[in-house]
Amino acid sequence: MAVETDTETEFGEVSRLRGAIFEYVSLGASVVGLLALAALLIYVFVDAFGLATASPAWLLTYFLTLVVPYIGFCLYSVGDRAFTRKVALALGGGLVVTAVGFTAIETLVGTIPRLTWQLAYLFLVATPTVASVTFVASREPVGTVGFGLIGRLIGGAALGCAVAVMFIVIDRPLWFLVYTLGVLPAVGVAAYGRRTDFEWTAVAAGVIGLVGFVVATVLRPVVGIYPSDGLIYLWTLGIPLAVGAAGIVWLREASRKRVAAVGGSTLLAAAAGILLGSSALPNGSGVIVTGATVAAIGVYLTEAVDADAGRQGLLLPVLLAVGALAGAAVVQLVGITTPEMWLTPEYVTSAPSNTAAEAGLYPAIVGSIIIIGIVAVLSFVLGVGAAVFLEEYAAGTGLVGRITRLFQINIANLAAVPSVVYGLLGLGLFANLLGFGFGTAVTIALTLSLLILPITVISAQEALRSVPDELRQGSYAMGATRWQTIKNVVLPEAMPGMLTGTILALGRAIGETAPLIMVGAATTVFSAPSGIWSRFSAMPMQIYAWANFPQEEFRYGVVAAGVVTLLIVLLAMNGTAIIIRNRMEREH
Amino acid sequence: MESDQAGDGRGITRRSALASAAGLGTVAIAGCTQSGGSNDEEKSINIAGSSTVFPLMSAIAEDYESENPEVNISISSTGSGGGFSNFFCVGETDFNNASRPIQPEEEELCAENGVEYIELIAATDALTVVINNDNDFATEMTVEELAQVWESDAAETWSDVNSEWPDEEINRFGAADTSGTYDYFVETVLGDRGHTDDYSATEQDNTIASGVEGDEFAIGYFGFAYWYQNQEQVSRVAIDNGDGPVLPSLDTAASGDYQPLSRSLYTYPAMSSLAEEHVADFARFFVDQTDNEQIVAEEVGYVPATPDVKQAQTEKLEAAIEDAQG
Repeated sequence: MAVETDTETEFGEVSRLRGAIFEYVSLGASVVGLLALAALLIYVFVDAFGLATASPAWLLTYFLTLVVPYIGFCLYSVGDRAFTRKVALALGGGLVVTAVGFTAIETLVGTIPRLTWQLAYLFLVATPTVASVTFVASREPVGTVGFGLIGRLIGGAALGCAVAVMFIVIDRPLWFLVYTLGVLPAVGVAAYGRRTDFEWTAVAAGVIGLVGFVVATVLRPVVGIYPSDGLIYLWTLGIPLAVGAAGIVWLREASRKRVAAVGGSTLLAAAAGILLGSSALPNGSGVIVTGATVAAIGVYLTEAVDADAGRQGLLLPVLLAVGALAGAAVVQLVGITTPEMWLTPEYVTSAPSNTAAEAGLYPAIVGSIIIIGIVAVLSFVLGVGAAVFLEEYAAGTGLVGRITRLFQINIANLAAVPSVVYGLLGLGLFANLLGFGFGTAVTIALTLSLLILPITVISAQEALRSVPDELRQGSYAMGATRWQTIKNVVLPEAMPGMLTGTILALGRAIGETAPLIMVGAATTVFSAPSGIWSRFSAMPMQIYAWANFPQEEFRYGVVAAGVVTLLIVLLAMNGTAIIIRNRMEREH
Repeated sequence: MESDQAGDGRGITRRSALASAAGLGTVAIAGCTQSGGSNDEEKSINIAGSSTVFPLMSAIAEDYESENPEVNISISSTGSGGGFSNFFCVGETDFNNASRPIQPEEEELCAENGVEYIELIAATDALTVVINNDNDFATEMTVEELAQVWESDAAETWSDVNSEWPDEEINRFGAADTSGTYDYFVETVLGDRGHTDDYSATEQDNTIASGVEGDEFAIGYFGFAYWYQNQEQVSRVAIDNGDGPVLPSLDTAASGDYQPLSRSLYTYPAMSSLAEEHVADFARFFVDQTDNEQIVAEEVGYVPATPDVKQAQTEKLEAAIEDAQG
């Protein structure tokens, strides 16, 4: 009451208490989720890399040889004294605060299992600091160039590995024939048509490609001898890659020397890749990995070298490589004990085992990548197709409109159906009725595609709806047909949104376990699948089985390493899609 | 390569130089070629079934694969019943693992689909009842006491079972009803008295172990292997079947003293699969490994087969293979 009388005499004053409480409650809500997830991830990483057994000296060595130079590079790139001071304060102050805080908690509350204050510092101070300096530096020229180069390096290699994995299940000789007789002539005709503006070349190229494909399938069993896999990769992937990379450089109107340098070095790297034997990827597929890496770097270098500023950024990979080597050398020389890591190169290249030290995830990684590749294509095509029809073609009124609405409601509800039910559908429909086999890549991929279809359809519809109607009307006003409008105006505008939806859905698909169990995916296979009709395993299946093993090394170390691998594959996949999306957004 | 012979012993003429160049070229290219025969029929072996037998089967399969890399073995951990009804009896898998003998309904289903099989003993397991490390009263239990704890009309508190035990509520952690472990426990301990619903049911042994670990008045049961690998985490209970309490161990299970909870684990190869040489070969390898101390006992934690059992299994398998390959 007293407040009310006050407001009559003075200017109105509203209590801000409720607003402030609301603000902090919403802040708390977001922090709770993030903290829980962060705690989980920290433990998973600690287990996967065996950091609990890492000696402080080992951590310090790599902190000084890798992390500190990296932060230095970022600060140099930013070139702002105030910022440098802030970062130094954060690192130094954080050190004191974590050390004191951690010891206080340990003495007052009790020991925190498998964490030391050094690890807490690494995760709570060093990691966020590195992330923030990276973010700030990425907006400056030197940082942009440095991160761009690192990105090309990792991206090219990762993409190469993914393609190499895909080719594991492809019959190489057949692909060789299809490429030589179908793809190559078709591309040639299409290119010729571009130059001469001959109208029907697109159709002709299609026909030639199809004929080539048929001829190749007929010839496949007849021809008795083929080039080795390495040569097939070089001919069908290495050479086109070199031509493509040189072409991009040429389009940028670079000197002839540079075009030749990029094309030549890509070809050379690809050829060298034949010799690169590896325990994991099948013979010869090193061609794609080295070729793609060098092509990506080469194309980027010709661009970055000419840039006005930021050329120093090109030294970042060298800095990191030297840092890593120096760290390893110090560890070796001083005799610092290295932690027992679970996630090692052997882990991702060897088969599962019953002894934790030898256990690997290779067949499951290959299985997951191939499955997700098929799912990505299927769900994108089906999802976008359905969404375009529902949004652009289906009438909104009358009987058809009512049916469309019924469809719509069903799709929205399908998104909430438990994944086990989709597993049953896959088991009944694909495995039993259509005879695609139990646990084959085809059955698994179709099941997962159906599982995420509602999400892709709905998100694609949202993207299409967000395209302003004025654009469509404008296109019609120019005399464009509906097909032309959709192809030239609506789809390009909606593509980034549709891609985002598909990425999110794929993230769900790669982690699914229940439907895989239902359709009979294998828990363990010991070698990579030889075709899409052989029995597949996937990462979640193998991880789930390991989590149930009696040995502690499995339940902590091996499982954690599997989880981190799954996360890395997921991030790589999302990263690719996000880059594609951003490219498209920038083009508009 | 035939052109190699063109220039025999008349000095280096232009023709012979050309011919040998061509020959070298052919050899060089031949070195970079592969025979193009379409992929041979893939040698695969598909195995599904019990999650209890899974570690043993995958350990043996791993050894077999390292010696025979051309054979592709896939193993699924589906549970004994799930493996029979979804995969084995519809002719999709070559082997089905089971932690209990095949049941009449499953036999019928297999017969309907014309799937014939034989039963092989893979190992012996000692179903282990575990309690919290701080529990010092229930370290020995009679079968009757165990039944009172787990029957469908189960005791509420420990003192309901034995008046000397504390008046604390019993918290139960056990196998889910889809698992062979559950079936076996019901069959040997509970009989017609049925299994209680008032317990945390799971297929994951480590869930049972951590449940029991965190609660002084909890009780649980699972296969011996889990306890064998995690002896610090929880305590095993000695079971008294009328002849005094016996602790579950590899020795007592092998000698047959640990009764009634020691059980055989099985694998069922399909006859039609044994007709294929590589499957028969794997089956022989498997039976041969069932008495391997290192794998069965040390790595996995089951009781290896005795010489008599192994002998009998080998004869049974050989007869079946002969029959199948006719």
